[in-house]
Amino acid sequence: MILQALPPRILSVRRLPNADPALLLAYGADPQRHRSLGLVTVDQDDPTYVALDEATKHADVDVVFAKSFYAGARHGSGPLSGEILGVLAASTPDEIDEGLRAFVRCLESDACFYAADDAGKTAVFPHVIAALGRYLSALAGLSPGDALAYLVAPPMEATIGLDMALKAAGVRAVRIFPPPTETNFAAAWLTGPLESCEAAALAYCEAVVRVAANPKGEVWGS
Amino acid sequence: MSRTRQLIDRLRDELGASAPMPPAPPLPRVPEPPARVFPRRHEGSPYAREAARHTTALLGIGHVGTRYATDVVLQFQAELAVAHEAVATELPADWATQNGLIGLRSRVRDHREYLLRPDLGRRLEPESLARWTQAGQHGVDVQPILADGLSAVACMQSGLTLLDSFTQACRARGLTVGVPVAARYARVWLEDEIGAAVSAKVAAILLGERPGLGTGDGLSAYLVYDPRIGKTDGDRNMMSNIHPRGTRPEIAGVRLAVLARAMLDQQRSGVELDLSGLRTELGDVASRAHRAPQVRVRLVEVAG
Repeated sequence: MILQALPPRILSVRRLPNADPALLLAYGADPQRHRSLGLVTVDQDDPTYVALDEATKHADVDVVFAKSFYAGARHGSGPLSGEILGVLAASTPDEIDEGLRAFVRCLESDACFYAADDAGKTAVFPHVIAALGRYLSALAGLSPGDALAYLVAPPMEATIGLDMALKAAGVRAVRIFPPPTETNFAAAWLTGPLESCEAAALAYCEAVVRVAANPKGEVWGS
Repeated sequence: MSRTRQLIDRLRDELGASAPMPPAPPLPRVPEPPARVFPRRHEGSPYAREAARHTTALLGIGHVGTRYATDVVLQFQAELAVAHEAVATELPADWATQNGLIGLRSRVRDHREYLLRPDLGRRLEPESLARWTQAGQHGVDVQPILADGLSAVACMQSGLTLLDSFTQACRARGLTVGVPVAARYARVWLEDEIGAAVSAKVAAILLGERPGLGTGDGLSAYLVYDPRIGKTDGDRNMMSNIHPRGTRPEIAGVRLAVLARAMLDQQRSGVELDLSGLRTELGDVASRAHRAPQVRVRLVEVAG
């Protein structure tokens, strides 16, 4: 069955209650404001960005570091590496805990890739964020509370899908990440009214499914 | 559930790609049941086997595997049906007059009310009370009352025999016996009001007892000294299982008469009554010698 959720696996969750200032600086935190760090690794990068953003809505934490690893989770440097390392920073460990709880909740019940074909080899991430947090809104140049369609798929599927998404609803492309990225997927961030974002995400997802089912199109197909 | 997951679920439906249910997992091979026959096991202990011959209770019925034998189950169900039927039977309204008795009735109006309202079954209906006060013989030693109780079947089968033997045994002991009556929809305590209305010294009610398995025809007798409303069960002496397989009515009548005699002598009844002297008076009807083996009434026959 297609469009089954592919639940992300949280590979590690650790906390540094009182991190060394040098470390704080190296990972982009501000030693004046931050003392504690929360660190996570997950085997899916894009749901993790969404979940880190979700954490900023529930606690006074800042996402100071979040980077995808090259070539994805299947080529990790160790069993805990996964596809991404995310770092939350806050003034107290309690804030970190609260942020991590929201992070885990989001990954367990909301953000995830979906299988676009029966074999589960094509993954698509047609995620709609109803209200942005402080992290992604800053990256996207939007305001916290705006809606965002966070769309990810492999290069071919993503390109066809993005065209469908932009034409399907009154949305605006905030950022487009053409391939290659670290994980060799392609991504796009679209914004607009929530309904438009949802329509765009659905159109994107449907296009990905159709491309995956018929890769060579009507002209060159069998 | 998250909004995005709902949207994707709906899209899957629209694309016609939803499988209503996951495919059934392959069934494991079910092995053939073992070809085992469970023969009937009879009770192995000779003591239990002998005891079972002397009672109609469900003793030593054996087993087949872990369950009862089919004929035992069928017999149980048949006996239960007999008991239900006995409770459901009603004493005909003219049964008393046909048998030369005075017919009285409790305050109960129908059989269903009789089962649901024991309190109404303990009081005489006003018309019956007036008629009985008029017709009854006042100041007698013993007032016998025949009644349906919970088994009209028992009352009709052996009630008259018991009444006769009881009356004769009382007269033989020099007691005056009142005019016999038959009461419908009667509970035990109805004897208080009937006895009090004619100022009898002892009231004796003979009525069908609550049917059990295989005994839809049992009678019980309850005797009370100085009957009047307000007497309790502690003031009564009773005898149960008066039926052909228990205490036979002819013997029961004699024992009850001896009991009535003792009540009149001691001027009390119930737990206060001293029964220690009765043994000699009863003579051979008090015998507790070896009982002949009882034959269970077979309601079901199983071939083989």
